[in-house]
Amino acid sequence: MATIAKAGPNTRLWNAEADEHDTISTRTFGFWLYMLSDALIFTGIFASYAVLSTPMNLAGGPGPAQVTNAVEGFWQTLIILGSVFAYSQATVALKNGSKAGVAAGILVAMVLGVAFVSMGWHDLAALTAQGNGYSRSAYLSIFFTLIATHGLHMGIGILWMLIMLVQIVRFGFTADVVARLLNLRMFWQFQATIWVIVYVYVYLLGGTA
Amino acid sequence: MSAHHSDPLQNPEVQQGSTLRFATAFLASVLFMGAALLVSQHKLPFLEFAEILVGLTFLTLAAQATLFFGLDISRAQIWKSVSLILTVPLFIISVGLTVWAFSSLYSRTMLPANEVPSMSMPMDSNATMSMPAQQTLLQ
Repeated sequence: MATIAKAGPNTRLWNAEADEHDTISTRTFGFWLYMLSDALIFTGIFASYAVLSTPMNLAGGPGPAQVTNAVEGFWQTLIILGSVFAYSQATVALKNGSKAGVAAGILVAMVLGVAFVSMGWHDLAALTAQGNGYSRSAYLSIFFTLIATHGLHMGIGILWMLIMLVQIVRFGFTADVVARLLNLRMFWQFQATIWVIVYVYVYLLGGTA
Repeated sequence: MSAHHSDPLQNPEVQQGSTLRFATAFLASVLFMGAALLVSQHKLPFLEFAEILVGLTFLTLAAQATLFFGLDISRAQIWKSVSLILTVPLFIISVGLTVWAFSSLYSRTMLPANEVPSMSMPMDSNATMSMPAQQTLLQ
């Protein structure tokens, strides 16, 4: 007859030979999955953009060719890629344990991030001032939604960087802080990835079509 | 998942950081997007133009995935790579199916764009409408 062993203080429910639980990698993987689901939000917006960028939805207002400027969009592309590169350099400094290097990289990334958001904000404000605001047409509604959603993500990233600057000074490179810095690197790189698609889809393809 | 390290700075994802890799990602992205901008300044057939743009976008995203995000098949990164590969078809299906579903909707259900009176113009006796548009409305 089989006996059932009762769990005691020495009972182990996992394979002792297996790798130990890596908190940092688990957290970055969890955040990665969150980002993939966040990307699906943008997918929904891109799908809506495809539907609403037809002449039928302009309602007599401006279309993609009138509200976008490919050269100006390229400058924004350069700025956001530069910002991502600066933050990536901060994580190279992290590898070397340099607090000053990490802080410098984050500060440069923040400045470039603010410049990028300001350019986007200026474009939307100029359109609104011309009477081509969010509610002018279905096309402008989805255009504003797309640019503002990306801008909101950028704003959250900038705020997150500010918080990390404080945490680096206050706590140093603890496991928690390092995991957050790695997550922020993914989040910031993700913004550049989304922007590349926005630039090609809205500014180049839409603007030319 | 990777092995445990007591020093957080020894984590594989921290150690993966490399100036050369990030600089290559930056330069490749700028190069491909610059090429896309240059192509957009030329008058090309739309389909050819779209194909070139899709190709350059794919190259840019591949450079970012492998060099900025550092995705590969190492123990530290393989599950991120797998989850991305499994998610990309969802993006394509979502956008593709939506575009396909709506591609002929307007031509089947709406008036032609040149037949629609301006949104700012009230529908009064002065607003003229062509015969096909009237027939479409009556149907």
